[in-house]
Amino acid sequence: MLKRLISHVLFARQGSQGTDRRVMARWWLMALIASLAGLSATQAWALPAFARQTGQSCVACHAGGQFPELTPYGRMFKLTGYTYGEHANPVSAMGIVDWTGNNNNSDGMGGQLTDLDRRFLLDFGSVFLAGKITDNIGGFGQWTYTVHDRQDNEGNWLGHFGSDNFDLRYANQDSANDKGLIWGLTLHNNPTVQDVFNSSPAWGYPYIAPSGKASVAAPPATMIEGGAAAGGLASSVAGTGVYALVDKSVYLEFTNYQTAKGPWSFLSIGNSTGDPNYPLTYVQSWNPYVRVAYTHEWGPQNITVGAFGMQANILPLDGNNYPIYGQGATHYSDTGVDAQYQYLLSPHTVTGQFRWVHEAVNDDTQNFFSAPATLNSLKLKGTYVYQEKYGVSLAYTNVTGSADPTAYSASANNSPNTTYWTPEVFWLPLRNLRVGLQFNLFTRYLGAKTNYDGNGRNASDNNNAFLYLWLAI
Amino acid sequence: MKTSLHSVGWVLLGVAALLGGCADTAATADGGVESNMAPVKLAHVVCATCHGFDGNSVSPQFPKLAGQQREYLVAQLTDFKGHARADIKGQQFMWGFTRLSHEQIEGLADYFSSQVTMRGHGMPQGDRGATLFLQGASDANVVACMTCHGAKAEGNGPFPRLAGQHADYVYKQLIVFQTTNDRPRGAPMKVITHNLSETDAKALAEYVATLGQ
Repeated sequence: MLKRLISHVLFARQGSQGTDRRVMARWWLMALIASLAGLSATQAWALPAFARQTGQSCVACHAGGQFPELTPYGRMFKLTGYTYGEHANPVSAMGIVDWTGNNNNSDGMGGQLTDLDRRFLLDFGSVFLAGKITDNIGGFGQWTYTVHDRQDNEGNWLGHFGSDNFDLRYANQDSANDKGLIWGLTLHNNPTVQDVFNSSPAWGYPYIAPSGKASVAAPPATMIEGGAAAGGLASSVAGTGVYALVDKSVYLEFTNYQTAKGPWSFLSIGNSTGDPNYPLTYVQSWNPYVRVAYTHEWGPQNITVGAFGMQANILPLDGNNYPIYGQGATHYSDTGVDAQYQYLLSPHTVTGQFRWVHEAVNDDTQNFFSAPATLNSLKLKGTYVYQEKYGVSLAYTNVTGSADPTAYSASANNSPNTTYWTPEVFWLPLRNLRVGLQFNLFTRYLGAKTNYDGNGRNASDNNNAFLYLWLAI
Repeated sequence: MKTSLHSVGWVLLGVAALLGGCADTAATADGGVESNMAPVKLAHVVCATCHGFDGNSVSPQFPKLAGQQREYLVAQLTDFKGHARADIKGQQFMWGFTRLSHEQIEGLADYFSSQVTMRGHGMPQGDRGATLFLQGASDANVVACMTCHGAKAEGNGPFPRLAGQHADYVYKQLIVFQTTNDRPRGAPMKVITHNLSETDAKALAEYVATLGQ
């Protein structure tokens, strides 16, 4: 199966000069479908690669079965380099079918904001390569095809294929005493994708959300949460870091990020310099990330408290989407605190996460911010799962910050202040299949509850309902 | 894009060589090739993650193994390896250990059985559990547990030590014995627990969890 996927890539490369990502994406989509069909025909349990490797159920690593939220065992599996178990078929796949219903899809001028409103969509699919390589090295890579990515001049939706999460690591441990030390190196392509606690952004809630093309809501977020206006870092950067877990309780990490170009460009497939739709984001000099956390288990419970910080310097791009050197950058400085609680004892699973991020922005270019700005982001989430099958969760998000006419031009008072609630119910009829219904309910959007844009649109107009079916094989 | 695809091709070929090789190994090894990690290291880097370095697990999801009867440990590991023990939690967490070698099973049993025995919390609640354990319940045809598991619940060969075990684990296993055939080696327990009420099962589990001071 893997060789077939590779041959598709090479075939795409050998095509005519006109071979573009659409051709490649079609091959990958076919490969994905073939993967799904092939694996489902051979896997009685239909479990992804890690489950095949360890021989264990999804619930061993995922709290209450709600992937991707990790149990203490799942965290150890990741910290030790995904190396538990024996070599197994490393190919997995994931597909999502969903439906997004916006409360008000009108653009106020007789048109609609999105033509994907209230439609069932085969939204996107991913292929994974995951597993141990040696007893000390393992990882996973995810590549995703987004079916509804952008529209051509005639309004036809075009797809896009590109890198998604990637984390390759070397890990070692001192196993001679009960305290122990685990340490390792990580290469990844998105800040915090290497983290093991689900209170940090990359694997934080929501675990699945309406696509930005089907939803009309686009709440502001901090850089480390994926919201940098100057250019997204996910799948555009190469993070190289060192980490340690001391005494099974204190986690320390230092990572530096650089642009995923040249030898690192395998981390940024789909994003490239000069691409009009997917220009590679360029970061300048050092972009450090530090992380500390303390975790403790007692009985069936565990708690984690932590802090993190990151500096990112994002270069401006010229009209051809090439980086401009020597004219400053957009400087993001994010600091955050987070916490997580888990109660794990069948048939009950209770988990909660908290994250607060403070961001300071200095934009030399003034392309994205008119003046030095701040943004504060609070996320709270609680979940209950019964029998690792029936789940309910509630999340609260509150974003506040300084007003800026460039950054928040869609707001009548130039404010980022946004507040929303996210209730969700989900059902896991199979270990690798989740069906869920989620609502995003805005009580404030870009600075106001009503008429936030000065044209009569209210925060609640951006409310949406999101129905999804999420299958991993 | 061209540069990117060059890089992609080489890197994916590299990953394919590594992981593809792994896949081939797995394809020929399934059910055949046994792990060769030293048992003590296996205990320290794998088993310890859930069961604790010395067999004293923190979470009641996972049984304590410290000082458990060696013969019982060998039997359970053998049953997990062969998928003969099929209770849900056993499947979820232990069915992956199909490649344990005989030497590893023996070594793991040696390691955990030789640890300082698990200890209970020593705070008995009520006397129903003690009565059931020591005397049984003749009216319900429940045999005294001590008959096989020992007066102090220390276990005996194939009969596991219960003293100091997590109450939640003991209770759930009693329900497994009572309501399923998922632990064939424990078939006699199905008869013994047949008339055990949920309340009594909990009382028993709470009682043995207090022992072993």
